[in-house]
Amino acid sequence: MSNVVVNPYLPKPVIVEKIYIENEAKDLKTFRLSFCNEEDKSSFHYLCGQFAMLSVPGAGESPIGIASSPLDPDYLEFTVKRYPTGVVTTALHGMEEGSRIGVRGPFGNCFPLDEMEGRNVVIIGGGFAMTTLRSTIRYMLNDQNRGRFKNITVVYGARSPGELLYKNELKEWEDRDDMDTYITVDKGDENWKGRVGFVPTVLRQVAPSSENATVLVCGPPIMLKFTMLPLLELGFKPESIITSLERRMSCGIGKCGRCAVGSEYVCKNGPVFSYQRISELSEKLL
Amino acid sequence: MAAHVVRKADLKKFINAVKKKNTFLGPVSRKGDVTLAVVGLDDELVLSYSNFKLPPKTLLFPKNELISTYDDNGMVEVLPSEGEVVIFGIRPCDVLSLLHLDKVFLDEEFVDPYYQERRRNAVVVALACTEPMKTCYCTSVGGSPAGEEGADVLAFDLQDALLFEGCSEKGRAFMKTYADYLQKPTKADLASRNKISSEAPKKITPINVTGLTDKLEEHFESSLWEESAQPCLGCGVCTFTCPTCHCFGLHDEQYGQRGIRMRVHESCMFPSYSLEASGHNPRNANWERMRHRIMHKFHSTVRNFGDIFCVGCGRCIANCPVNLDIRETVAEVLHE
Amino acid sequence: MDRIEQRIREAVKDLFHKDRVDLVIGFREGSLPLKSRPVFVRSEDMADDLVWNAFCRGNLAVYLPKLFPPQPQRDEDKKPYPKIGLVAKGCDARSIIGLIKEHQVHRDNVVIIGTPCLGMVDKEKVEAVMDGDAAAQCTEGENGIFHITGISGTKKSVPGEEIFADSCLECPCPLPEEADVQIEGESRKPAAKKYEQVETFEARSSEERWQYFVDEIATCIRCYACRQACPNCYCNVCFTDQTKPRWNGPGDDLSDLMLFHIGRIFHQAGRCVECDACVHACPMGIDLRLFTRKLGRDVEELFEYVPGRPEEQPPLCVFRMDDNQDFITEP
Repeated sequence: MSNVVVNPYLPKPVIVEKIYIENEAKDLKTFRLSFCNEEDKSSFHYLCGQFAMLSVPGAGESPIGIASSPLDPDYLEFTVKRYPTGVVTTALHGMEEGSRIGVRGPFGNCFPLDEMEGRNVVIIGGGFAMTTLRSTIRYMLNDQNRGRFKNITVVYGARSPGELLYKNELKEWEDRDDMDTYITVDKGDENWKGRVGFVPTVLRQVAPSSENATVLVCGPPIMLKFTMLPLLELGFKPESIITSLERRMSCGIGKCGRCAVGSEYVCKNGPVFSYQRISELSEKLL
Repeated sequence: MAAHVVRKADLKKFINAVKKKNTFLGPVSRKGDVTLAVVGLDDELVLSYSNFKLPPKTLLFPKNELISTYDDNGMVEVLPSEGEVVIFGIRPCDVLSLLHLDKVFLDEEFVDPYYQERRRNAVVVALACTEPMKTCYCTSVGGSPAGEEGADVLAFDLQDALLFEGCSEKGRAFMKTYADYLQKPTKADLASRNKISSEAPKKITPINVTGLTDKLEEHFESSLWEESAQPCLGCGVCTFTCPTCHCFGLHDEQYGQRGIRMRVHESCMFPSYSLEASGHNPRNANWERMRHRIMHKFHSTVRNFGDIFCVGCGRCIANCPVNLDIRETVAEVLHE
Repeated sequence: MDRIEQRIREAVKDLFHKDRVDLVIGFREGSLPLKSRPVFVRSEDMADDLVWNAFCRGNLAVYLPKLFPPQPQRDEDKKPYPKIGLVAKGCDARSIIGLIKEHQVHRDNVVIIGTPCLGMVDKEKVEAVMDGDAAAQCTEGENGIFHITGISGTKKSVPGEEIFADSCLECPCPLPEEADVQIEGESRKPAAKKYEQVETFEARSSEERWQYFVDEIATCIRCYACRQACPNCYCNVCFTDQTKPRWNGPGDDLSDLMLFHIGRIFHQAGRCVECDACVHACPMGIDLRLFTRKLGRDVEELFEYVPGRPEEQPPLCVFRMDDNQDFITEP
């Protein structure tokens, strides 16, 4: 009997095509990766909201949300924050274009785009949690998909103007007339002419309708906590409020137990969870 | 294939025949303890033990396993290559633990090729218990001292002989291979065997687990967790000696221009286990980690795999330096 | 033993009554033979749970560092530390003194309930006496004789000296010297010869000693029970767990195992009070105390320092002009 099992622990080799520095502090970089092998590329099918393990031999692996859209044909994009205590993120940030690393995945569940068809979509992002939301927005805005969804509202906030991700794309979104984009910062600078205010505050001001609407909200735990209240006040149902959880991971395939939250594995049953599901899970998450 | 016996006088000949064809692991004396190890030329099989100190999970899921190697050309997997292994002497509770681990590692969505290879190559010859320990409670969690679930062959120590029963295709094939060394059992042999399987369960003090899974969910926020975990040192001995604990991590080690990636057993009882690079730790307090461990054993695995993963071997109770007793915690939860 | 137990209970009740403690850490009955276990007594009514017998192994001082976490900077955020009583044998008390010297515990917040100790039973020795038959019951009778019943029914009676742990037989200080409350009772005599075991070991050849060390350490499963059971191991992040830099690999490689143990043993030099908590916790029965003992002996010889005496400063914190320099060699 031949060993036809695909080894889920073996990363597929990729090349770092381009590195974009996203923020002023230079600790957020977007890596554009392309597969070395054609068969790896053609077998890597992912959906918005999924993640992959970026593998840096010698340093280890890190689970990062996929920031590119599934319809971006030739590459994968990941936006990675460097933590001083993080061995892998520090190694990644030390790399140059042309380096080789590995990718394992795609893992996890995805945003419920099928259920969002025919509905209004509200997307709320905070800080550098915007990555998989950006994947979703790009996917929805693609010509072949835009018609499937009704109104698209985006509220995205960062600590300061320099910390905003995907600055070029934000401009494009603001210019489009088939979506409403509200960019805000906690604190402006001398050049910032846009909105200033915390995301929950701006959300209250924008007050998107909860009628026939799904909300995708991603951000640091504190932002999630303060955004839930206005969302519920605006009438959004807990099962229509969707978020993405993060946990430290090792295997990414639901075996090592590290990312367990109660009986759910964030890597397998998540990372996308509805607020309804999160309230059912015993561990206090928000 | 029906039951067969090997008289003790002929046992060495039989074992030698098996050793010629396979790696043979059995209970031998090492450093004053009975351990499951490769039976060497000078080793005598020891059959007077209750259970091994360490669980057999490390045979299929080693504590330190080479996953892949890498160099400038990329990463290459390194699959196990040990070949067939006959494992003799595992108690039925530990055999049941292997079935539980199968559910995790052989899950169809992502089959673990390392575990799968070792599992395929293992012939599990279980040894039924005659003297359960004070800390045993296998009968309360789906097991039995003479249980055959998961075993390829089930053996009984009849004092003057070993009786073997083939329980699976692999087991029956194994017995067929060594048919020359096996004899038909006498009536007395069979009576002896039946006496063991009927008497042994009576020596076990059972615990109650009815409704435990639901109760655990109900009482997640109870103060009993913090209270009962006060003496816990956070040492992790429970997880390392537990047959079904399987938390692990992947680690790279660099040697100049090349390196290895390995899988290492870890423990959810250690704070660093869930510690994130941002400094946030979802299970910051010791009692939160202990609650997680017990929930995982009796609740999460039931929700995800339909089974309580605890097999009632009692190792966590016997080895805990501060004598924390999972049976008492379970009783407290049920009492809440 | 029973009278000491009663006296402990009364002393603890009195402490609660006089509001001298918020918490008392002691021992209560275990769920298995030959085991007593730690209990956290938080009120006068709980005091009757306390027991005192020859199975009170383990060092209760291990719980102290966590009960004294660092205080916030601002005065208005500071919370008063609890007042903690501890049923302390000689070894526990020496540990508490050590922790006080290292500023991990506040002297004013600890009430040392000095308890006279005759020795603690070693499970391995009991098993040896019973020829491998696990003990179902072990009770102390008159004149220090222990009556053991095996699970097969065999009965044996042995004097305590035959089954007490080695660390107890070599104990220099069975009665705590710095107790706030002294429980009346008989304790064993301090051992005459302290380092006999180390000297016997040192007499062996270098190859033999190395092989012994390797054989013992090779069985280590990196469970860290030794570290967690030790009151002296209170570092927030142990050197072996650090990732930046990674001092030590997590694997089974002999070099990784040895680095952990060598690191831990050297971190114990001059601090280890030989309470045997590490040996008691180790599931693999590794002879840890021999190695810490050897370094303890070296520190005693080089710096005339023995841990556990309140008036002395730890040798690595103090510089004297006449400090021994014999161990500094030419490169």
